[in-house]
Amino acid sequence: MSYSEKVIDHYEHPRNVGSFQKSDGGVGTGLVGAPACGDVMKLQIKVSAEGIIEDAKFKTFGCGSAIASSSLVTEWVKGKTLDEAAKIKNTEIAQHLALPPVKIHCSVLAEDAIKAAIADYKKKNGLEEDAAQ
Amino acid sequence: MNEFDQSSSSGAIVPCWSCKGPISPRALFCSTCGAVQPPGDVDHFTRLGLRRAYSLDPAELDRQYFGFQRRLHPDRFATRAPKERALSQAQATALNDAYETLKDPLKRAAYLLRLAGRVVDVDQAATVTDPELLMEAMEMREALAEADTPDEVAVLAAQAEGEMAQCETDLARAFAEQDLDVAGKLTTRMKYLGKLAEEARSRKIRMTRPGI
Repeated sequence: MSYSEKVIDHYEHPRNVGSFQKSDGGVGTGLVGAPACGDVMKLQIKVSAEGIIEDAKFKTFGCGSAIASSSLVTEWVKGKTLDEAAKIKNTEIAQHLALPPVKIHCSVLAEDAIKAAIADYKKKNGLEEDAAQ
Repeated sequence: MNEFDQSSSSGAIVPCWSCKGPISPRALFCSTCGAVQPPGDVDHFTRLGLRRAYSLDPAELDRQYFGFQRRLHPDRFATRAPKERALSQAQATALNDAYETLKDPLKRAAYLLRLAGRVVDVDQAATVTDPELLMEAMEMREALAEADTPDEVAVLAAQAEGEMAQCETDLARAFAEQDLDVAGKLTTRMKYLGKLAEEARSRKIRMTRPGI
């Protein structure tokens, strides 16, 4: 199996690698894993008082597709509202990166990670979980 | 062979495909004409004549496997009819499958969970969110990424392998107590530890043989 150019680009030059202080009130952290591969992915968002995602960081231990998927999501969510970010679908990630069928679950993991980060931020800040799924 | 006769716990009698003589559905050979039979629809433990339990004695597993394999190996059927050759091949494949699954402590755990009707995390492309498990996995992988000498990497690999051995002990207890929730968690944890040990090994190779 060969990786697409976009996957290789994100893999070799991952955007936004790193961490925010987890205890920071404006930070939401999503920690998810894919046990079938033994992958682990941490995705964090820094949210402004207006509810806009100002910055995002990730740290992923996994295959190239998992790294590329999380790297891409950190790029996409910047400047979005929480609701907009929550609407990112794994299919968009997979399509953008041209992931082969066996790697689709890597994009699912990235979608689950951003959702978990948003949920964590909302919980921390006493915001109700909206029903928009 | 052992206390579990291949035919004792089977159900109805079926006809031999060759001579139509009566045989147990789990019989390996027809008692009338001696023809090899198709592999029965049994679990891996039964196939190898072992008690269904997580704890097993690797020496006994080897003994059972090689014992059956000797009797069913396709080489013994090289001069027989094509149907018998094909059946011995099917029997040998089923034995290999059972052996490979039961020999590996992680595969054995996942298999027992599946037999108990559990959805097993490590089988599927699902997402887990257990924070304790994932924090541990993240911290260990970070430590590995930061280790910059072969010795440091070796320490982490040894740690992971030690934790895996502990998981195996804990799994034996959890299965004995039929605590399948705990067994499921331990199985997932073992998978992550195995992945870490694997990454540590390949990192150590890259460090000691930089040309590769």
